[in-house]
Order: sequence, then C-alpha cells, then structure tokens
Amino acid sequence: MHIMEGYLPPLHALAWTVAAVPFVLRGARKVAKLMEERRETRLLLAASGAFAFMLSALKLPSVTGSCSHPTGVGLGAILFGPSITTVLGSIVLLFQALLLAHGGLTTLGANIFSMAIVGPWVSFFVLRSVGALGAPQAVGVFLAAMLGDLATYCVTACQLALAFPDPASGFGGALVKFLAIFAVTQVPLAIIEGLVTVVAVNLMLQYSREEMFAVAFLKGGAFLKGGAR
Amino acid sequence: MLATDRHAWTNRWRFIHPGEKALFVVGLLAADFALPAASVAHQVFAAAFLATVIGAKVPARAFWGVMVVPAGFLLAGLPALAVSVQLEGAGPLLSLSPEGLALAVAVQLRSLAAVACLAFLILTTPIPDLLALARRLGMPPALVELAYLMHRLVFVVLERASAARQAQEARLGYRNFKTSIRSLGLLVGGLFLRSLDRGRRLDTGLAARGYQGDLRVLSAEPELSVKRLALAVLMTVVVVASALVWP
Repeated sequence: MHIMEGYLPPLHALAWTVAAVPFVLRGARKVAKLMEERRETRLLLAASGAFAFMLSALKLPSVTGSCSHPTGVGLGAILFGPSITTVLGSIVLLFQALLLAHGGLTTLGANIFSMAIVGPWVSFFVLRSVGALGAPQAVGVFLAAMLGDLATYCVTACQLALAFPDPASGFGGALVKFLAIFAVTQVPLAIIEGLVTVVAVNLMLQYSREEMFAVAFLKGGAFLKGGAR
Repeated sequence: MLATDRHAWTNRWRFIHPGEKALFVVGLLAADFALPAASVAHQVFAAAFLATVIGAKVPARAFWGVMVVPAGFLLAGLPALAVSVQLEGAGPLLSLSPEGLALAVAVQLRSLAAVACLAFLILTTPIPDLLALARRLGMPPALVELAYLMHRLVFVVLERASAARQAQEARLGYRNFKTSIRSLGLLVGGLFLRSLDRGRRLDTGLAARGYQGDLRVLSAEPELSVKRLALAVLMTVVVVASALVWP
C-alpha cells in the first residue's frame, strides 16, 4: 500500500525524502556507470523497469476477497540486486503517481524508502542467508519475496505511526494499530506473492538460465552471490 | 491505454510549458499544507477541479476516474486514524475520541485536495514533459534517460500482460486458487524473459541505425509565459485569501 499524496505532514514527507535520496543517488551512480560502459544495458534496464511497473498492475488472487498487487521487491532484489532495484523501483513509484495517481509526489520519498530501499535489502539479505544455510533455493526465493513484502508494510506502518501517534498511547499504540490492520490484510498477500515469485523464478531458470545469467547487470542479483545456483 | 496518458496528450493545455502547470500545483499544495485543512481543502480541490475541467477541457468523468481509487483508499483508512488504542490495563482497548475523529477528517480532506492537484497535473501534462522539467530541477541525467526509455516500453509490456492474462483465463488458468498462483507465476516469469528479449531486439535495431546512447527527437519546446506564471501565483493567492476570509 502506498502512502497517498498529501497524507503525511510536510516535515515527515521531507524527512523521508532526505532519508531516501542517498540510496537513490548511490544506485543512480551505479546505473549511470553501467549504462555508460555497456550501452546495450540501457534498453535491458528500461525493459526490466517497464516489467516492474507492469507487476503493479497485476491483481493477486486473494483468499479474503480483497484484491491487491504484488510489490515485486523480492523479485527485483533476486534479479538485479538491491541497489539497481532501488533505482528501478523509484522510477516505478514515480510512474505510479504520474499515471495512476497511486501514491504521490510529496510522499514519494516515504514510499521509495519502504518499497524501493528497505524491501529489496531485506529480500537480498534473506536470500543470501538462506542460501548460506544450504536450504533449497525455492525456500530462499519464497522467504525473500514474502519477507521483503512484509518488511515494506512494517516500514509503512512505522511511517504512519510516526506521523499520527495515537492520542492515548502515543507512537507504540499507533504502531500496534497500523501493524494489526496490515497483519490482517497483508500477511496472506505476502504469502501469495512468495508463492508466485517461486513459480516465476523456477520458470525463468528452467526456460532460459543461460540467457538470464549472461545479462551483465543481472550479476548484481542476490542469486549468484548467495550461491543459490 | 491508460486514460490519464490519453488526456495528458490531448487536453487543451498540452502545449503550455510544464513549469507553469507545476508552479500552479506547487502553489496549491503549499496552501493545502500550510493552512488548516478544514478551511483550505475545499478551495484547493475546487481550484484543481476547475483548472482541469474548464481550463484544460479534460472531461469531468476523467477527473473523477482518477480520484475514485484514492478516495476509496482514504475512506478505508479513516477508521485507522479515528480509533484510538489503549495498551495499558487488561488488554488493548479501542475508543473513539472526538479529537481523533477531527484529526482523521482533517487528514482525509487535506489528502483528497492534494490528490486533486496531482490529478490536475497528470491529466494535463505527459510524463516526458514532466521528466524534462525534473532534469532541469536536478534529477540525475541517467535516471531521467532510464525513465524516458521505461515510459516508451511500459505500454508495450502492459499490453502483453493483458493479452497473456486473457489467454490464461480463456484456458481456465484462474479457475481456483492453486491454478491462479501457477498462472500468475508463469505470467510474471514469461513476461520478464519477453521484456528482456524486447529490450535486446530494440537495442539491436537501434544500434543498426547508429544509436550512440541517446535518442534524439524533435520536440516543440513551449515558451515560458510570464503572464501565465503570474496567473498561477494569483490563483494560489486567491485560494489562500478565500480560505482566510471564510475559514
């Protein structure tokens, strides 16, 4: 769930933007270098970004009847590594605001922080640690996608709790409140996203393993580093 | 094709400099944030709506079409802000306080007005125009270029996704929960490989035509009009003044 335009007080919106900028710039430098050195990566990155935007237009099947779309943070971290995912995710969030009025410009920083920074890094570390423990790859992919999705929502809950502390019980109470709402709506969706990601990654590995690993910028992906090959 | 994109390219204010429209939006947003929502949100909303429908001649239906999903989310979020939780004592206790409700309503109003400003911007200004503006305002060039290329490919990928979904549905791919998971996974995996392939083929095609890393296109750069900039500022002043006079 994105935080909507105008929802956060100005100081909070500004603070989250300031927090997100260094990560985005670091990723942007990496992407710029890649695009400079290997020209053919430009269109591959653009195609991957367009693909990431498409993910947000997909509807997940849901048990509760509510409908939502995958965050794609786990899949992004698995394929491109966290810093490139930050860049692609930031542009995707910008496009969601500019094409669908989903999210917003003043809250872009806060949304980038939860969805394009914390989510991908959590997925990345989960995949690496599960790989290091020697568990089957599918388990790592599932946990990475699911926990990356959940981490995103936990950060969003924190952002909302900080902005709107409970009048009676302060930040703690508000956090419990927002987390409880997300627990009901998001935990099933996170599990579904994990399952879908496993199917998707399996298909990619079966169908064109060589092709995927041959793409230069995919080398940043958590897959190869985690030894999950 | 997305409705916002279609109107952004065809509305009456399409060829007005994006900076002027952005200034109008920034002014309205600043007023929306600076003053108490109860007094200013209605005026901000009205200004954004009138500018979209009367100024840019975008059909009102399109404006409401953009607003309906965010408005639904806002309504759904109302109880979350209005209800207060007490953690001490026997167990968590929920209560509805007047100040909680007031805060919730104020946040909803402010946010709704801000979404209306965003709706104005996205219904009147195509993304490439906004990216050109962002480049001037200091967005890293690599990001701008990547975003340009992404914008080109987004619609292609969306079309492919909906075609694939239709094909899967026609084959009962979403019959039950289990098949839905499988179908969606195959759709996602397959589309990623296809997107990569698309990017690679596009690159080959462009390289054959002498692509060096930047796409040069002929773009008509509209003039920045001082008169319209002043008008944008004036609108903000009118909104603020009306909010102060009739709080």
